[in-house]
Amino acid sequence: MVDLNRLFWENDVDTNTVLGARMGRPTTVATLGKRLLPAIVSISLSLPLLLPGTAPAADLTFSSKTYGLSYERELPGGEKNQYAPLYEYLSADAANLGGKPVSLHFYGWGRVDLAEESGSGKTSGEIGSLYMEYRHPQGNAQAKLGRFFLTEGAAMETIDGAFVKTTTPLGLGVSVYGGAPVEYSILSGTEGGSSLYGGRVFFVRAGFAELGASYLKENGMFQEGKDRELIGGDLWLRVAPPVEFTAQATYNRSVGEMASQRYAVRIVPGANFDISAGYESYTYKGLFQATLNPAFVSPVVDIGDGVQTIFGVVDWAFVPGWTLEVAGKNIRHDKSDPGDADRGEVGVRYSYNDKKDVAGLSAAFVSADREENEYQEYRGFASYSPSRLRLTLDAITQRYKQEINGRKNQYQVVATAGYQLLAALQISGNLTYTQSPTFEEDYAGLVRLTYDLSTSTGGKK
Amino acid sequence: MTRRVNIVPFFRAALLALLFGCSAVSQAPSVPPKHPEDLPPGRVDCLECHNDVSSGTLKPYASVRHSRVFIDSHGTYARQGQNLCSSCHAPAFCQTCHAGKEELKPNVKTGDRPDLRAPHRGDYLVTHRIDGRLDPGSCFRCHGNKSDSRCKQCHR
Repeated sequence: MVDLNRLFWENDVDTNTVLGARMGRPTTVATLGKRLLPAIVSISLSLPLLLPGTAPAADLTFSSKTYGLSYERELPGGEKNQYAPLYEYLSADAANLGGKPVSLHFYGWGRVDLAEESGSGKTSGEIGSLYMEYRHPQGNAQAKLGRFFLTEGAAMETIDGAFVKTTTPLGLGVSVYGGAPVEYSILSGTEGGSSLYGGRVFFVRAGFAELGASYLKENGMFQEGKDRELIGGDLWLRVAPPVEFTAQATYNRSVGEMASQRYAVRIVPGANFDISAGYESYTYKGLFQATLNPAFVSPVVDIGDGVQTIFGVVDWAFVPGWTLEVAGKNIRHDKSDPGDADRGEVGVRYSYNDKKDVAGLSAAFVSADREENEYQEYRGFASYSPSRLRLTLDAITQRYKQEINGRKNQYQVVATAGYQLLAALQISGNLTYTQSPTFEEDYAGLVRLTYDLSTSTGGKK
Repeated sequence: MTRRVNIVPFFRAALLALLFGCSAVSQAPSVPPKHPEDLPPGRVDCLECHNDVSSGTLKPYASVRHSRVFIDSHGTYARQGQNLCSSCHAPAFCQTCHAGKEELKPNVKTGDRPDLRAPHRGDYLVTHRIDGRLDPGSCFRCHGNKSDSRCKQCHR
């Protein structure tokens, strides 16, 4: 069996964690589909080389983010361990290969521990994406090959495979995809899926409506020993110029249960005001059927439960630079445990210094049927970026109605300072202070080195 | 006895009809793969420069202005297509949160950008017990099958 991640970051050690508990290495799914991965990667990498004049015409973007962390954790028994994980995140994109609308994308990260093991083993890492993309100049037709993150109808997956999408002159469109799912199981007895395929048919009329129906099938042994088979529907409808209606529903055919539904009305009369309200629901049985995390199976959750939510959000730029944000939701459960709850939130943001800096204050509350679910949250933050220097301060506190580990509150303050050494190179550092039910008193440090390089103007954020 | 209808043949037939019956690709220009202008810092409001319908989403630019409303519901729009998103966002942007076996919380990685709506601020190890009880569906989107091995410390 071949696992791309393991080719780059070999890691066979099961060991203790940041909090001192035993922890297993997540099982990386390695199946027949995964055996094809090296071939897919090789093809993806070699295709650009077939295009004449690739290097001179290419539009290259490269980003490296290095994070060095330092913190201490107390283990059961009072012993203290020092941790110093070093993370490297790399992202590279080469577009316009050979003067054609072909691009190559890479994103991945790796960790090496300079002190005690901070996670599962001394090293870890992952190839997040590595794929080639063709974007047709017309009709938004496109194709992807390799490892990529995909959102299409019922699908929100990372797969090793292929994706094709096109729209016809009539406004009818189709997308299909297939490959091996990239999943990580920590659920005993379930490794995840071996293959995944699906597609979406849709009708779109520019500026008026988009209506889609989708299908997804993942072969594997999930809950109840079944595959994952989803049927989805989605709608975006502009009822009137400032009013739009969105709907999204997914039916889990494997367990014969509606997985999730979301319906919302949104009004955007201009650039200063945006309001949305809607209804959302899901059933644990339908939504969590293909989980690979024990947090979503019995006995941690009651699989017979379901959630219905009514929500509303307002974003109002009431004065240039000032924005008011108000959000609220009513959450109802089928079961009395955990019971129902209301969450409200209000915040104000002020952007200044030509939008380079933002300051904000916010308050949130959760009132619930059960006291154990009630808390309040207050947060304030600000940044200051004169010339090459950047300073930020972020403070948050949460107050719980019921004690957790003997405490009713937590505080965290994050202060950062950064300096732009070169146009493409920035160094910055965080100092984090925490008091919480987990930490009596905790200091953590982080040094961040960011290098961004692009051979052309234009935006990648 | 309940008989399940096999929908796969219908789906395949629909695909074939679309591919061969309407084989021509729409002549409407695609959205550029890369936004031609440098983007300003902070939250982008497309309406500052655009006031028509995006060729990427075929929706008005007002629908994708990056307000709190849009950020909270961006998945609804992304599930109908990612072309417009990827004009400005590299794949790495989405995978800052929608990662596989990520170990660093998004707000730790973006600690120098407190203006971002990065989830899990504070000691979220504590608060996730409440949020997870009340709305586990919101956790599932990122942690359902793209798990952090740290979950296994307690969830066995």
